[in-house]
Amino acid sequence: MDHIWILSSFAVYYITNTLLMIAIQNFSFQYNRKKVLYNNLSLTLPEGFIYGLLGKNGAGKSTLLKNMVGMLFPTRGSIRVNERDPKKRTPSFLQNIYLIPEEVYVPALTIQRYVSLFSPFYPLFDRNAFYKYLEELEVKHAGKLNTMSFGQQKKFIIAFALACNTRVLLLDEPTNGLDIPSKSQFRKLIASIMNDERIIFISTHQIRDLDNLIDRVVIVDNGELLLHASMSEISERLSFRKVKELPADIEIFYSEDTLGGKSIVYENKTDEDTRVNLEQLFDAVTQQPASAKTIFSKPKKSFQ
Amino acid sequence: MSDIFSFSRFIALLRKNLFERPVQLAGLMLLTLALVLISYSIVKAVSGYEDAQLISYMIGFLGGGCFLSSFLLGYFNSPALGSSFLTLPASTFEKWLSAVIICGFLFPAIFIGFFHLVDMIFVNAYHSSLNPKDPFFQNKYDSVRTFSFDSVIAEDSYRMYVIFVGSMLLGSLYFNRGAFIKVGLLVCGLYIGGVLLNEAIAHVYFDRVDRALPYLCVFIPVGTEMGKVMLPINASANVDISMRFVIPAILWITTFIRLREKEF
Repeated sequence: MDHIWILSSFAVYYITNTLLMIAIQNFSFQYNRKKVLYNNLSLTLPEGFIYGLLGKNGAGKSTLLKNMVGMLFPTRGSIRVNERDPKKRTPSFLQNIYLIPEEVYVPALTIQRYVSLFSPFYPLFDRNAFYKYLEELEVKHAGKLNTMSFGQQKKFIIAFALACNTRVLLLDEPTNGLDIPSKSQFRKLIASIMNDERIIFISTHQIRDLDNLIDRVVIVDNGELLLHASMSEISERLSFRKVKELPADIEIFYSEDTLGGKSIVYENKTDEDTRVNLEQLFDAVTQQPASAKTIFSKPKKSFQ
Repeated sequence: MSDIFSFSRFIALLRKNLFERPVQLAGLMLLTLALVLISYSIVKAVSGYEDAQLISYMIGFLGGGCFLSSFLLGYFNSPALGSSFLTLPASTFEKWLSAVIICGFLFPAIFIGFFHLVDMIFVNAYHSSLNPKDPFFQNKYDSVRTFSFDSVIAEDSYRMYVIFVGSMLLGSLYFNRGAFIKVGLLVCGLYIGGVLLNEAIAHVYFDRVDRALPYLCVFIPVGTEMGKVMLPINASANVDISMRFVIPAILWITTFIRLREKEF
């Protein structure tokens, strides 16, 4: 009996302690023959980071998340989450991944009833933490969940998802429908639950909502990966400044008119320390993908 | 815990499925039972007990069962609901089995129990209303009996139930909206198509065909009489096996496969 116990303990240890990673290899996806959404996308997402997936409307952000959780299957290539195939949708896989879709579903149940029916599926569900998150997000409702406002429903699902303690958390436009204080509270909550063994993958087109939250940026457009870099790498590669006139001595990567001048993005050749502006980064990369590729493919300095 | 079946997880899933949509589930059950009561009363008044039993039983059992099964796996009429169902940590087998248990065992058990109760009340009321001194008392008494659940009609209804409910479960995975109506139309279309095809084939083999019932018999006028050509015994046995086992198995197993492969 002893050796069985040792083997099973080893198996449990192995499953819970191996490095988590999402590996996307040559991933292609299309809903129909005419429109190819992704073409040969390859991307590796190690644990311990909060990723921001940025893309235009219809770029396929939600599709990528659905493929990661096994709701859609790749047309070609593969997605592996911690060496598991999402397509199989096995309980042990789904217990460790939670997708908060853009539009959430809440049944006509009270909060307590919902928890008693849905939490048994998540072995690491923390009831105390759940009520703490609800309090922090200011969700107070004694009635049925479906009578709450959309924003309240969304905050309820966010609190439930966080309390499930899954190692992978996928959020699709999580701040849609949240008011300004809730957005800030949401950022604090996400930051507070993040640890080295988790992957949090946030898809959004409301880039400002992710300010100061994400560690790494993934930008997709027209089915291609345009950028995958850490914030520190972006900061070392690019400079973001506001100027009155376009400087003649700098090769401008991107510029836009702003109140009282211009915002410019250019290659950081002098180790300047500027704050990354995600919105400008996104516009720069999607409008000048080739230049972005050139800048980011140069030999690394000290990037993470 | 097994990735295919875990008893505790299955019980949690069954509990979730039963209580997640209490209004729809309880509402449907009440509606079915109310329909049984109303149709029984009306048909009894118009054409007697036997018809009342048969019609109300068929409406409740087949109608209620089909409607229930059309939304048991019908989580795909909204992205949020579909996502919640597909990403719930339970195996496809458990999700399928839960639907099978609800529409294959729970609903029939509750329905048959209720129907029998209603039937008994009506029949007892009739028996009590009879005058024991009436010379035809015994005949009148025996003419009305409670519906037998092991009669040929009941057996046929079980067979139809398994096929119709299987079709609805499967259809709800193909048609994200309005599965009940779409599958109903499809099944009716297939049936009518089968009858017409059968009629056409019968006309190829026989000169004068009055009627042709699919997989059963062909009526041929012979002088002033009507002759009936039955399906040969071997073929009839094959049809019987197909209707009892093969078609239901195909429908219910395909439902499982479709659920496993479902993308949303």
